[in-house]
Amino acid sequence: MIGIVSYLVFFLTVVLIFGIACLGLNLQWGFTGVFNAGVVAFYAIGAYTHAIITAPPNPLLIANLGLPWPVGVLGAMAAAALAALIVGIATVRLRGDYLAIATFGIAVTVQLITLNWQSLTGGSLGFTSIPRPLAGYFDGQLSYNIFFLGLVAAATVLVYWALERVVRSPWGRVLRAIREDETAAVALGKDARLFRLQAFVLGSVIIGLAGALHASFIGFVSPFDFLPILTFQIWTMLIVGGSGNNRGALLGALIVWGLWSGSGVLVSKVLPPEFQTQGAAAQSILIGLLLVVMLVFKPRGLIGEEPVVSRHVG
Amino acid sequence: MRNLLGLTLGTALAAAIMAPSAVYAQDAECPVKVGGILPLTGSMGAVGERIAESAQLAFEHINEGGGIKGCPVEFLLRDDQGQPTVGVDAAKFLVEVERVSALTGTVSSGVSLPILTSVTAPSEVVQITCCSTAATFTALAESGESGGYFFRTLPTVKTQAYASAKVASDRGYKRIAVIYVNTDFGTGMVEYFKTATAKLGGEIVAEAAFNENQPSYRAEVNVGLAANPDAVFFVAFPQDGATMTREWISLGGPQNFILNNALRSPDYVEAVGGQYLNNAYGMDNASAGGPTVDAFRDAFQAKYDASADGPGIATQYDAAMVIGLAMNIAPDLSGPAIRDSVRMIQDPDGTVVGTGPEEFAKAVALIKDGKPIRYVGATGPVIFDANGDVNGAALIWNIKDGELGVENTLTIEDMNALFTEIDG
Amino acid sequence: MIGQAIADGILTGAIIALGAIGISLSLQILRFANFGHGDILTLGAYSALTFTAVATAGVPIGPVSFGWQFLVAILIAAIVAGSAAILIDAIVYNRLRSRNAHRLTMIFASFGVALVLRNLVLLIWGPDVHYYSRELQIAVEILPNVRVMPDQIVVLGLTFAVVIFFYLVLRLTRIGMAMRAMAESPTLAGICGVEIRKMIRIAWFIAGALAAMAGTFLGLTVQLRPEMGFNLLLAVFAAAILGGSGSLFGAVIGGLLVGLAENLSVLVVPAGYKTAMPFLLLMLVLYIRPYGLFGTPERH
Repeated sequence: MIGIVSYLVFFLTVVLIFGIACLGLNLQWGFTGVFNAGVVAFYAIGAYTHAIITAPPNPLLIANLGLPWPVGVLGAMAAAALAALIVGIATVRLRGDYLAIATFGIAVTVQLITLNWQSLTGGSLGFTSIPRPLAGYFDGQLSYNIFFLGLVAAATVLVYWALERVVRSPWGRVLRAIREDETAAVALGKDARLFRLQAFVLGSVIIGLAGALHASFIGFVSPFDFLPILTFQIWTMLIVGGSGNNRGALLGALIVWGLWSGSGVLVSKVLPPEFQTQGAAAQSILIGLLLVVMLVFKPRGLIGEEPVVSRHVG
Repeated sequence: MRNLLGLTLGTALAAAIMAPSAVYAQDAECPVKVGGILPLTGSMGAVGERIAESAQLAFEHINEGGGIKGCPVEFLLRDDQGQPTVGVDAAKFLVEVERVSALTGTVSSGVSLPILTSVTAPSEVVQITCCSTAATFTALAESGESGGYFFRTLPTVKTQAYASAKVASDRGYKRIAVIYVNTDFGTGMVEYFKTATAKLGGEIVAEAAFNENQPSYRAEVNVGLAANPDAVFFVAFPQDGATMTREWISLGGPQNFILNNALRSPDYVEAVGGQYLNNAYGMDNASAGGPTVDAFRDAFQAKYDASADGPGIATQYDAAMVIGLAMNIAPDLSGPAIRDSVRMIQDPDGTVVGTGPEEFAKAVALIKDGKPIRYVGATGPVIFDANGDVNGAALIWNIKDGELGVENTLTIEDMNALFTEIDG
Repeated sequence: MIGQAIADGILTGAIIALGAIGISLSLQILRFANFGHGDILTLGAYSALTFTAVATAGVPIGPVSFGWQFLVAILIAAIVAGSAAILIDAIVYNRLRSRNAHRLTMIFASFGVALVLRNLVLLIWGPDVHYYSRELQIAVEILPNVRVMPDQIVVLGLTFAVVIFFYLVLRLTRIGMAMRAMAESPTLAGICGVEIRKMIRIAWFIAGALAAMAGTFLGLTVQLRPEMGFNLLLAVFAAAILGGSGSLFGAVIGGLLVGLAENLSVLVVPAGYKTAMPFLLLMLVLYIRPYGLFGTPERH
């Protein structure tokens, strides 16, 4: 029983971290229509920045600062913002599918940098000993994990609340206007590029926050945490849950990560040992199919976008 | 806000149920569960599949030989897909929900490390890996962060690198090009190889790190060839290794190869072509042969109709057997008890027990009578040092007419002498 | 050294170019960036493998590692991959199109299709590496310090033959004309009596068939593995966009540039960054010309 609780706490923490990344992506894609195929790049930047800021000094690495946890989180968000600004200025004017390819390429490049810039990132060895906040105050693993879940939940609620306010604000309405009909929005005097850039940066900041939480939760990051498949996972979460709806983004994270992890359990339980490899391939096929089926038959996701009307109307 | 409230309530509830975890002092409840995490899909899938077969073979042998404390073992294998997040989740599930008593896995250090730091070490569960070579594990053991719960049955990169440098210097290669996989394994190996080669009078004239799974490695091979070396040291897994070796030969590189232990695989030899590899040498741990090594190789061949040469196959078998033996020795199946018992499978005064079900049954009988044992496994005697790393004799293998063979062995004394020569 | 890098760049570039033509077609006619293209390439390569395993790759002709039967294998691979592309369109993309889905939604669907295809290959053929022929070819020194394998020369020749054939088809036949019309404006083409759905099927078939050829050539000169296509994807995308989508020779030149960039880059930066080169080149070009080197500005 305690085992199950302990696993669920762990599982939910991961879900919420992905959920936060999903909320960030939802701002970019769900509300603004900016296709970011490089989610993992900003996630990685957040995670590594956090690691570099908070980890204790290490003679082999140039910049371990050993600063407090909140500085790490804020630093991670700032670094993601800066990266998104640079990327955004260069790419936001591109047509949508070029932007997709450009961001995909950025994700590959960021991953290569984490792998090759050994003196900063630890290279392929990864980054160990990332401190977990307030870890000294808890004696049990479970009690600490429950605390961390609370922390991540608080972050999720904060991001959710902020985004809900943002998308209902005049600024949020402009974003949706651009998504629906850019020409019309431009005709109304809105600088579509500027708004898209703002949404891209803000979304990336949130994704960076998720990366920072990931690093401090697991206590270790390596370049192999940030393969393109992670982008795919986060996108699937958003599509399944329902893009354009923040609750959908969170629900999607729960369902998709649940399926990803649950189907692994199923394969391991049901299939005889000699078919395990095939089972694992079948598992990936199922996830891919789930995504395609959702897109074809339920494109709005489980909970689609709600019509959002300004408080000032009616 | 309701979400937050629910969450707080849930947390409080969970905290209320939470009792000291010692309540779970396990008796041997049948079946005994052991977890396994290996990459079955993803870029390491080709390597992981065979390793998983080897683990399954070991647990079959354990069950045929009497299981653990009279119980059959249920081996729960999960795929990590080469992704740390997936591996950690699977490990957490195995440890917390399945309540496995020990865990074996995984291949990539990048996955094994987070499993150790966030699951097995905090939960006090023994983790034995067949294949993760990163030096970080040694550092974590020295600093006490791993709590002594981590063991690995393959030699550290340092041992491999020093022995490989010795091979090169014995063949008289002075100018060596190095092409290595850009992972903790490759970078670590090359660092030590450089140090050792410099001490032994050779020189690294070119080095190129490559990223795995590229369609071609011609560019990296060219970097090596441009320096006009006597020989090349490849640090790779069989798939990429075969690609670059073929390209090296095609482009007219000298056919003098030093290979890392993962390339000691018939798949690799077959893919490249034996006729080009008559001057290929590498190191591996393991005694040259002997009945326990042969018994394992025959059993693997018989069961899967495939050769037991290949990265991680023999070391995974040993990892599983060590778990099986240690769990039998342990007074109970708690993590600390198993951890301490791992140290007891290698009693210098013990009766030698080898591989296969009969030998395991013999070991179980000895343990029941309270007699010490000494496990000599699929890679020879498995001797863990204080940090859970294995040290021991090394083997220099070669390829002659397309067949993998053994050139000579370096005994523990030879290895110690080599370490002294290089490290001073 | 530099000569060898240039030669290697051209040889890998040719294979990338074949893949890039397909991407270019889907950008122009099907109007989305198909992330599943790499895995169609893999599927094609493995189809040829099944043929050579069942039949034979033939007795090697001269210095080449395969016989004429291999050409049949390539043809079969092209047909299998082309048909698979049509089938996937019918099952997935056509439904999305008929719903007027956003073209970015199509991109995302192609992510899913890619995952399914890659794992189907894994399921059917297993994770091990395969070769059409185990025989290793020794490269011939064609220029001082420049070595190439005979197979690579044949591959290069075949690539250019295919490109020229395809160019002629586009220029001289009714189908080609209809396709060009569709690339300009599908609606207008429809009004002028072009059968849109048939044209879409043809475009898919051509993209799939060319990808399959790229796959078999890659398998022939290197090896086959389940992720081969996916790992080539970034290079192929970069090539297609570099050249300017829809421009046939643009795609070819884009492919060659990408191949050269990859192989020359290791002379100046650590080889570890090689994979990022096509992309950096792409960003550079897009910064100066957002519609590619040979493309024309397009209105949204």
